Amino acid sequence: MEPSLRIVPANNAKNASLRDTANSLGLHDTLQYGPRSLAAELKSDGSLKERLQNWEATQDNAKLTLQRNIYGMHAPMRLMMERRIVASNPHITDMPHSNIHLDILMGRDETIDPTDIFLGMESGPSLDIHKEMEKKFRV
Amino acid sequence: MENVFRSPGFDFSNELRNNFMTEKGLPLPKATSTGTTIVGCLFKDGIVLGADTRATEGPIVADKNCEKIHYITESIRCCGAGTAADTEFTTALISSNMELHGLQTGRKPRVVTAMTMLKQMLFRYQGQVGAALVLGGVDSTGPHLFTIHPHGSTDKLPYVTMGSGSLAAMAVFESGWKANMEREDALNLVKAAISAGIFNDLGSGSNVDACIITEHSTEMLRNVEMPNERVQKERDYKFRRGTTAWKKEDVRKLIVEEQVTILGPGDEMDIS
Repeated sequence: MEPSLRIVPANNAKNASLRDTANSLGLHDTLQYGPRSLAAELKSDGSLKERLQNWEATQDNAKLTLQRNIYGMHAPMRLMMERRIVASNPHITDMPHSNIHLDILMGRDETIDPTDIFLGMESGPSLDIHKEMEKKFRV
Repeated sequence: MENVFRSPGFDFSNELRNNFMTEKGLPLPKATSTGTTIVGCLFKDGIVLGADTRATEGPIVADKNCEKIHYITESIRCCGAGTAADTEFTTALISSNMELHGLQTGRKPRVVTAMTMLKQMLFRYQGQVGAALVLGGVDSTGPHLFTIHPHGSTDKLPYVTMGSGSLAAMAVFESGWKANMEREDALNLVKAAISAGIFNDLGSGSNVDACIITEHSTEMLRNVEMPNERVQKERDYKFRRGTTAWKKEDVRKLIVEEQVTILGPGDEMDIS
């Protein structure tokens, strides 16, 4: 993200891409995800969803920009380097996601969010590990 | 690049369908709301919080005796008006976060901490979390009383009311509140304010709950006043014994034959 001191995510143009629901042929996977219309998604009023999804990223960007302005370019670079080192974990399969080192670096090791309570309730453990790994490495 | 941020935790896959349905004129189902009168009042030694006990679902009373004064920490309580699920979930979440924060700092938790956590969370959801709260407590810096509106704005005041009955209760406060009141006077004022809300507002009713928080103790007075008790029914609908005669009595023993066999040296734990 480009450096910005915004605290609240901007209401800019939203983007919908096929990448998150694409199957191995490259098209939208109707069998697994159901019908989908990109035009309807772009026209619909998704302001709360965009705001919530970009919230953490925007606040973090503001903090890193402040650090860049005060201490110099190296400060946010080092922090982001540490995060990348800790977040790249090839061994962990997709369920359960739990990266405590990353939580500590991001400052959320001592808080509870709705994410901790609600995430993962919609779908159980997926039975197709090959598809998960394929998806992960293609991204 | 790995994504270090987490998703918001809510599933928005029905959003398209819901937007379409509201456009076509089908409204969202009504959530249980606490129509409510909630008040808070500062007195000489601390804070008195008060609430009524009616929860409504549209025009119907869903719960005649619900609890609207929620626990945040030992010396901090929060009254909640608005959508009942939102107030309960928000206060429970902030209570957990306050406990974790208290364990990390090692100090008695402060009311401003809870207020900041609540306002930041409510602002993030842009008012969609319908929780209007009265937060009060006593910490190492003294007694504090705050109101928090659903969009995230806060006020720090010596006496506050929220909810649909807030106007009736505020009228009582404005005419009766003085600085440095005694405990009895403050409690009577709060009971009068909630009663004003109960009798003059349709969204509030049933009983009065109060909570007195001082530096050394917190007293939860559940149903301190019950001005709406149901009268006892005038007639009794039970039949007395002997109304009908019975002709035959047959008691059947379910255990026909019993034989106990002890297996092995017994079930005792082996402590050799």
